[in-house]
Amino acid sequence: MKVLVFHIGADRYGLPLRQVQRVLPLVELKGIPLAPDSVAGLLNLHGEPVPVIDLARISGGAPSRQHFDTRIVVVDYSAPGGARHTLGLIAERVQGVQDVEQQGLAPSGVQAAPFLGAVTGDAHGMVQLVEVNALLPDELRARLFPEETATQ
Amino acid sequence: MNNLSIKNKLYISFGSIVAIILILLILAYNNFTRLTEANGWDKHTMEVLIELDRINNASLQIQVDARGYILTGNETFIASERDNAELLKQHVARSVQLTADNPQQNERLKRAQALLTTWADVNIRRQIEKRRALGDTKGAADTLGQSSELKEAAAVVGAARDLIDQAGDEERRLLADRGAKAVDLHSSQNNLMIGGGVVVIVLSVLIAYALARAILNPLSNLTAGLSRLGGGEQSARIEVTSGDELGKVSEDFNRMAAQLQTATKRELDQTNELRDKVDALMEVVSRGAAGDLTGKITVSGDDAIGKLGDGLQRMFDNLRSLLTNVQKAGIQVTTSATEIAASAKQQEATGVEQAQTSVEVLSTTKEISSNTSQLLKTMEEATAVADYTTSATSDAQGNLRRMDATMQNMVNATDSINAKLAALSEKASNINSVLTTITKVADQTNILSLNAAIEAEKAGEAGRGFSVVATEIRRLADQTSVSTWDIEQMLKEMQSAVSASVMGMDKFSEEIRRSVGEVRQVTDQLSGVMDQVQKLAPQFDAVLQGMQAQAVGAQQITETMMQLNDATQQTVESLKATSEAVHQLQYAAGDLQSSVATFAVNA
Repeated sequence: MKVLVFHIGADRYGLPLRQVQRVLPLVELKGIPLAPDSVAGLLNLHGEPVPVIDLARISGGAPSRQHFDTRIVVVDYSAPGGARHTLGLIAERVQGVQDVEQQGLAPSGVQAAPFLGAVTGDAHGMVQLVEVNALLPDELRARLFPEETATQ
Repeated sequence: MNNLSIKNKLYISFGSIVAIILILLILAYNNFTRLTEANGWDKHTMEVLIELDRINNASLQIQVDARGYILTGNETFIASERDNAELLKQHVARSVQLTADNPQQNERLKRAQALLTTWADVNIRRQIEKRRALGDTKGAADTLGQSSELKEAAAVVGAARDLIDQAGDEERRLLADRGAKAVDLHSSQNNLMIGGGVVVIVLSVLIAYALARAILNPLSNLTAGLSRLGGGEQSARIEVTSGDELGKVSEDFNRMAAQLQTATKRELDQTNELRDKVDALMEVVSRGAAGDLTGKITVSGDDAIGKLGDGLQRMFDNLRSLLTNVQKAGIQVTTSATEIAASAKQQEATGVEQAQTSVEVLSTTKEISSNTSQLLKTMEEATAVADYTTSATSDAQGNLRRMDATMQNMVNATDSINAKLAALSEKASNINSVLTTITKVADQTNILSLNAAIEAEKAGEAGRGFSVVATEIRRLADQTSVSTWDIEQMLKEMQSAVSASVMGMDKFSEEIRRSVGEVRQVTDQLSGVMDQVQKLAPQFDAVLQGMQAQAVGAQQITETMMQLNDATQQTVESLKATSEAVHQLQYAAGDLQSSVATFAVNA
């Protein structure tokens, strides 16, 4: 399995590559007044508005710093109801694609943020997988995609 | 106590002794009276007892007579029966009277009196009447003996006798009591007499001792003080311990001794004062005899010594003023002579000095001549030096002009270096913008490679080869980034080096400009120096001419001074003669002064 490796703080995390649409440079986002802190703004993706979540912020830390390798990763988000959405994520120090052996994955064993998955180790330390579908808490999801809540 | 007079002390002492004796006597008299009283009571009791005995005797007599008549019928027995009864009554009455002070006894005796009166007047008379009626009948006595009258009478008299006996017992008891009391009184009287006597003696002795002390101690002090004063000890004083007559005598004695001491001291002081005055006079007079007239006589007054002192003082004053006048005259003569001598000497010295000055002037003039010729030589040398300086200065001027040109060249070169450095800096900025472009391209390449990898992954097996290419592209992009960063760093270093060089060049060209300014200034100054040196030569010539004229003048001065010297020599000779005469006058004045100086007239 291939993952896109990035950092939150000093730790490495991986996004499964099959859910990643594309990687974009850090462009100017449209601010959304009164939005939750973890929502960085709206991205104009070929004329379509895409909400962008700051991964460092949603993990409880300070906002992501604007380095040259801080990127916006566009991912496919599947809501619990089965609806699919496009979601932007701001990630620090996006290093590249890394191959992860399926059998090398092990559960972290610690109940922390709901979107954190299994961990694996390599020469540079440990990488923890991020479950994109579990990324948004119910309340935030309701605010980002209200039409879906209305259908339910 | 101490302040009482002797009279009062005596009164108090003897008075207290008499008072003690009086108290003792009063106590003794009191006891004695009580003893006498007890004796009187004894006597009274004895009288009562005697009366009781007599009552008994009288009643017995009456009974005996009555029995005798009853037995015999003889009338003689009862002849005195009435008299005896009267006697009995009298005695009983007497005893009642005597016991009037004791109610119990009195009562008892009154009862006895009643019984006895009844007995004597009724019972006995009835017996006698009955016997008389019986007459000489046989058994008359027995009949009467058996009769009730006799028994009744016996009972009455028995009761009376009991009462009398009781009274007698009571009186005897009282007698015994009173006897015991009398013995007590006797012993207390004895104790009082012995004890009181001892107390009186002891108190008298104590009072006598205190009195003797109070009188004899001050007296012996007084006697001792008197004998000390008599022995010549004038400071002898008596301690005043009491305020009585002896105390006053002691105070008077002390005052007298003090006056005596003061008088003696005053006498001694006067003697000493007189001796001091005579000594002072003697000292002044003996100093005057030795020639010292400065002594001042301090003794004065109306007495003989004072007048003597005043006379001596006047005499000394006269003598002193006389000598002072003589001394003043001597000093004036000496001073005048000295002044004359001094002025003569001064004149002489002035003459000599004049002569010397002439000689000095001569030698100075000669020196001036020789100096002038020397100066001439020196001036020629100076002219030569001035010429040399002129040529050297013009050489220096030429050198400085060349230096100035060189400096100008350097300034130009510096300016061109600066321009080149500016160009370099601009080029570096261009490189920087190129680098920014390269960085952007590398960044985009990086993203492109990431997306390529994602697309390859999505393509699955078909995109595997593409995935490898994407990874390679990404590696190249990373290398480009690193190299770009290195170049950027180098460029930054170069830019900072260039700007440091520019600053250094600026400073350098500033220095050069300043040097150029200084060189120009030096050149100007050298030109000034040259002008001055060229002006010197004609002035030196003028100086030379002046000096030659001076040499001629000096020769003329020499000749004039020779003539002046001769005249001065003659003046000195005549002054020496004057000086000699004044010396002789001085010696004479000195003699006068020394002969007067043996007298000292001023303190």
